Amino acid sequence: MDLLGKSLLELKQLVADKKISEKEINEYFLKRIKKYNPQLNAYLTVNENSAHLPLAVKDNFCTKGLKTTASSKVLDNFIPPYESTVTERLINNGFSVIGKTNMDAWAHGSSTETSDYGPTKNPWDTNRSPGGSSGGSAAAVSAYLTPAAIGSETAGSIRQPAAWSGVVGLKPTFGRVSRYGVIAMGSSFDCPGPLTTTVTDAAYLLGVIAGKDQFDATSSSIKAADYNQLLKNKNKYTIGISDDYFDGVDEQTINKIEKSIEILKKLGHKIKKITLIHPKYDISIYTILQRAEVSSNLSRYDGIRYGNERNEFGVEAKRRIMLGAYTLSYGYYDAYYKKAQKARTLIVNDMKKAFSEVDFIVAPTAPITALNLGEFEKYPFFGEVMDQLNEAAAVAGTPAINLPVGLDNNNLPVGMQIMGNYFEEEKILNLAYQFEKETDFFGVIKRGIDNYKD
Amino acid sequence: MKKSKLNKEEILHLAKLSNLTLTNDEIEKYRKQLEETVEYVENLNELDTRKVEPTSQTTNLTDVFFKDGVENKRGLSQNEAMKNAKNKKNDYFVVKRIM
Repeated sequence: MDLLGKSLLELKQLVADKKISEKEINEYFLKRIKKYNPQLNAYLTVNENSAHLPLAVKDNFCTKGLKTTASSKVLDNFIPPYESTVTERLINNGFSVIGKTNMDAWAHGSSTETSDYGPTKNPWDTNRSPGGSSGGSAAAVSAYLTPAAIGSETAGSIRQPAAWSGVVGLKPTFGRVSRYGVIAMGSSFDCPGPLTTTVTDAAYLLGVIAGKDQFDATSSSIKAADYNQLLKNKNKYTIGISDDYFDGVDEQTINKIEKSIEILKKLGHKIKKITLIHPKYDISIYTILQRAEVSSNLSRYDGIRYGNERNEFGVEAKRRIMLGAYTLSYGYYDAYYKKAQKARTLIVNDMKKAFSEVDFIVAPTAPITALNLGEFEKYPFFGEVMDQLNEAAAVAGTPAINLPVGLDNNNLPVGMQIMGNYFEEEKILNLAYQFEKETDFFGVIKRGIDNYKD
Repeated sequence: MKKSKLNKEEILHLAKLSNLTLTNDEIEKYRKQLEETVEYVENLNELDTRKVEPTSQTTNLTDVFFKDGVENKRGLSQNEAMKNAKNKKNDYFVVKRIM
């Protein structure tokens, strides 16, 4: 049977109908991984024993008995003695982890180039970065080395690699999905979420992993919706557009987004101009708060109970730890950390105000398409600039999705994001589904998969 | 925010606080890069936050407690907890001398 490009739910149905066995599906993907992973470096660890419907999982989710490194040599030989809530829920719902995907070390970065195990290559052009930090997950979905993947986002780490690799990527509301067993980066930001080839798969996977978890005190008691049930509603929405989110964005990207906005209008949605606080402030708030949380979270790595010693930390992790120590230290705490926390309140209020006027905000996901590997070093402060359009939703803790909206002149995917209000993932998914039905993402996802024949 | 230029001593102090060892090259590199970042984030001074409360949790959760008497399924056996340690003796972690 021709499996190439089948969505997760299509594969699930084929298994339910006994048209194919889970064993055959695993053999199929393991064969593809063997064939294409050497050139893409999307997986760090492959689980040959995967027995059920396979999913790829970012290497910062603890998987019991399966090596978990967060792409850092500090955890080079770490075998988790427990399962993260996300992977446990996936396993309990009949899935297997087929492999652990590459990422920026500790999720610090937007390119996978800070990985201690070499960067992942963008399946659309292997000289380029897939984006990051969930770059391995995005590339694995894009080249169909898995039907779907789990990533995590602190600020852009699901949406931006999804944009650069041309797949669907959903960052849920903070607390919608448990962080228990996810190697912590910015604990007030971190959100696990799915990367998929269809909106339906994203809705389905969110339904599996969402919901209160007693082991993550910040997980929400608000009941998760029946996301797939709500997909097919033909609701009409008001969509906000902020000019500042097109500031400095590549012209080809702007053209694709504008074309997509026209399609949303044609589908009967209203467009309304809004103003938001300029993303340049989000960069500062995020940088201060995230570095502070990093310096605290990475202090646990002492090489005593597990892992290697702190001299194994890479350049980026050390830089972030030290900046965090600086902004948290005596004499600077009020000037930086507290100031940023107050400014965070302004962003939260700004987003709430926006969502009292409109249902969504639509914007480019990234200011440019995928950069060449190695180009990043030329841009100081690179990740933050690359992620600036993602940071408002990260700072506020609101949900957003990336959708592919076409290819630029270099044949690289362009991504558009739909940002929504707190815990309104079902609305975001509904609009995303309407867009998918109308455009099929302009064939981007299919074309990406077709570049990697069986 | 006060304008600050980072000097070598401050970088060494931060490295000590962070339990990191830096080479001479790294000290100068980080000094420059951290200074650039600190300069960038000064733009927050353009935002008026005088009457604003700080946010540490975005979804307004308060007082989340573990229920009394609930079995804590997170517990690891001694064997599981020790499994990843490189340096152990008689099922204890071995650490550097403190005194």
